[in-house]
Amino acid sequence: MDRKQCCVKLSVQPSRGLMDEKFIILVQNVFPGFQLTLHALYKCDDGHSWEAFAHYTASAIGTVNVSEDPSLGGTYSGVEPMGLLWSLRPVPGSKPWLRMRKMNVQTPMVVTISVYPGHQTEGFLDQVSLAGVVVERWYMAPGVRRIPITEAGLTATLFLPPGPGPFPGLLDLWGGGGKLVEYRSALLASHGFASLALDYLTPKVTIETGKMVDNQYFERAYKVLEQHPQILSSRIAMIGLSFGTCITFKMAVYSQVAKLRCIVCISGSHVQPIDGSVEQIMSFFNKNAEKTRFNNENQVIWHDLLLPIPTDPSLKVDVGQLQCPLLLVVGEDDQNWPAHESAMDIKEMMERAGNSHLLTLLSYPNAGHLIEPPFTPFAKASAFRDISSRQMLVALWGGETAAHSRAQEDAWRKTLVFLRANLYAGANTDATSFSNL
Amino acid sequence: MVSAHVSMIKIRQLIKMTKPCIGVHRNLACLHRAVGGVRWKSSFRQAPVLTAAPVRALIDEQICIKGSFLPPECPVTVCAQMHSDDGDLWEAFAHYNTNADGTVNLTKDHSVGGSYLGCEPMGLFWGLQPAPGAREGLRLRKKNVETPYVMLLSLLEGHVSPSKRQSTELAAVITERWYMAPGVRRTEIRQDGVVGTLFLPPGPGPFPAMLDLWGMGGGLVEYRSALLASRGYASLSLAYIGHKDLPGSPTRINVGDSYFESAFHLLQAHCQVCADRIGIIGLSFGVYLTLRIATKAVVKPACLICVNGPVGSTVKFSDPDGRTEHFESDQKYWTYNDQGHVSFKDVSLPENLSPESKVKIEHLTCPLMYIVGEDDLSASSMETANLIEETLTAAGKSQLFTCLSYPGAGHLIEPPYTPNSRASLWSVKPQKLFTLWGGHPAPHAAAQEDAWKKILDFMERNLRQ
Repeated sequence: MDRKQCCVKLSVQPSRGLMDEKFIILVQNVFPGFQLTLHALYKCDDGHSWEAFAHYTASAIGTVNVSEDPSLGGTYSGVEPMGLLWSLRPVPGSKPWLRMRKMNVQTPMVVTISVYPGHQTEGFLDQVSLAGVVVERWYMAPGVRRIPITEAGLTATLFLPPGPGPFPGLLDLWGGGGKLVEYRSALLASHGFASLALDYLTPKVTIETGKMVDNQYFERAYKVLEQHPQILSSRIAMIGLSFGTCITFKMAVYSQVAKLRCIVCISGSHVQPIDGSVEQIMSFFNKNAEKTRFNNENQVIWHDLLLPIPTDPSLKVDVGQLQCPLLLVVGEDDQNWPAHESAMDIKEMMERAGNSHLLTLLSYPNAGHLIEPPFTPFAKASAFRDISSRQMLVALWGGETAAHSRAQEDAWRKTLVFLRANLYAGANTDATSFSNL
Repeated sequence: MVSAHVSMIKIRQLIKMTKPCIGVHRNLACLHRAVGGVRWKSSFRQAPVLTAAPVRALIDEQICIKGSFLPPECPVTVCAQMHSDDGDLWEAFAHYNTNADGTVNLTKDHSVGGSYLGCEPMGLFWGLQPAPGAREGLRLRKKNVETPYVMLLSLLEGHVSPSKRQSTELAAVITERWYMAPGVRRTEIRQDGVVGTLFLPPGPGPFPAMLDLWGMGGGLVEYRSALLASRGYASLSLAYIGHKDLPGSPTRINVGDSYFESAFHLLQAHCQVCADRIGIIGLSFGVYLTLRIATKAVVKPACLICVNGPVGSTVKFSDPDGRTEHFESDQKYWTYNDQGHVSFKDVSLPENLSPESKVKIEHLTCPLMYIVGEDDLSASSMETANLIEETLTAAGKSQLFTCLSYPGAGHLIEPPYTPNSRASLWSVKPQKLFTLWGGHPAPHAAAQEDAWKKILDFMERNLRQ
């Protein structure tokens, strides 16, 4: 047996962590100056394989510490402790335009991290590695409870943090792709927020009747949180991404039923026919369909559909009337929505109305549309089924791998701070106290 | 609720007028108690939080437990509760006083009462005891190593005893503690007559390996092997008595030397094991088997680890292959205390052992680490360690011998951060019999922690370099 193979030590701490937790990868017992490649392999629930790799040179004491040493090349470069996760990409020969989204949050993401000799770029799976460890990444912390909600005609899942509570609540909305996406809610519950993931584009009632949901659907979802014995009815917030931000803005400003403590709007816009239903907002977008552009690779750019930002007040949610803190997160390279332009307009409207002290704006250069919880593979474009036309297209989201991944890490951390400050501390806390994030 | 809120506004106004504000939190905390335990819905500060890092850990990993956003310099109780595989409730608790910044950190702060005293980061784990009302004579041993121990950690107000349930729970967190790291593979072995379970580390290997032997309690004990695999060593837990897949009566050892040699060969032949880097670890009667295998020289282990066990057996061998008689057939060396608990200590006293069974220590050719619990009430470990040392020194082989001796530690020196039982149920027929293991909580826990580190270092030096 090769003596060298016995000696290389590879450790990842923690080996079981939450999806948004950082780990430390340490290689030891190699020769000083030894060139090696660190490789990550992930087989997702759909059966697709993803990989990432990076080139390192061992230090004078024969170690490589991914949190401190720079990668000299590979799917990421420089000092990137979590690079092996966010630079994961489908292995050669995979179906094109994949996007990694874990739909089953009750099982962990299992990643195999291995060390190979030399600086290699391919053929990893045909070789035997020098050492390998398996790492589990969980969306649910121990004790988090997952409760499917079907009452009141809703299609939703509630995640409760461990413990007796009571907990602040969150209504969690995703975007135009529809489906019931649970992972952000699971992670938020792992951080102490009871979180309700809501499917509002493809819920059971829409599948069965063909009709889109009305505004009361969202108010019923709010009531589920408000009336839950383990949720504090006075501390309910809302988080929305993409199309979900339309609903979030609407509920925060116009709903008589929802008393939101704060809202988080990611990669979205306030531009919509005010007081319109989901269906009406969708047709408003479709009216501008001719503004759709295509790039050289025939990827769809929907960025211009809402531009120019209208001046007509009936076409924009009046954010000047917002009475709760707003965390606005946008990527400046968003190719799917004019999030950055909308953010500028929102800022101006709030300054004119005198409530801009409620606004915290996080704007990330070179970040794209899909600003999600951190340390998952970046997708600049992916296959997308348009809800109204039912066509399968490739949507361009935008962003550059490293910048977008750093933006996700930063935005998530600040989102948690924002939510904790607003939902765990007092109502009398001045909003400006956390604007120096 | 309303009246408490109004009073707090009055207090706030008062405080704005008075200085200094240092006593604010303490006054508010006392007011809170005065209004009759209304849950503290803070208008002034964040609700208390209890964190554990990592929240999913291996059994031998330290977990850093911290409480934050608590009133400063106030008494709190940290409480741990979990159910064993058999459904028994185990719990531990400790009393702390929060720091001036409203935190409590179990890795730095001192417990002033409860299951342990002083600065003990893992005290809540090794200090676990059966909850009041539990069955007698329990010992915490994980049967199913593929699932974690799920432990509820909670932060209670004041210095209380958790079973009385009178206090307000301020915060809680649930942790999982695993014997198997991600990727460790568990395989049942029933081949060549060998009854065991093999644990392989994740990765391609090949790996150094260990043969894992336990005592006369019998059965197949997997948790130490699972942990060794989690630390990079292929490990085979071996059953030799009291297992349904072994031949003959469960109260006798019906296998001989060739059985253990087969198990060793099985490891050597495995494609993911380095054939020349296999060690043996034994506890209690497993020590005798370990030394016997090594000195018979049919197989060549690379190193040996022996915990609290004998160099021979009291019963004479009935056939050349080493098959022993009924363990309990010769009870003349059993001693009993006032409560009728039995101690097997004298069974392993060197002068009581049958001369033919005693292993020839002088034939040892590999490093041996012998671990002694000085309060071992089940085996004559100190005497055995001394005998081994004398024999090896006389043979000019003292450099092979390392001895670790722990005052206050008992017989069951196992992987760390698990509770010790000073006595537990040994058998139920003809009537309930409890056996004494020895060991006092804090020194035994310290021994387990230190011994495990030294065991892993010893294995690293002898099996990896």
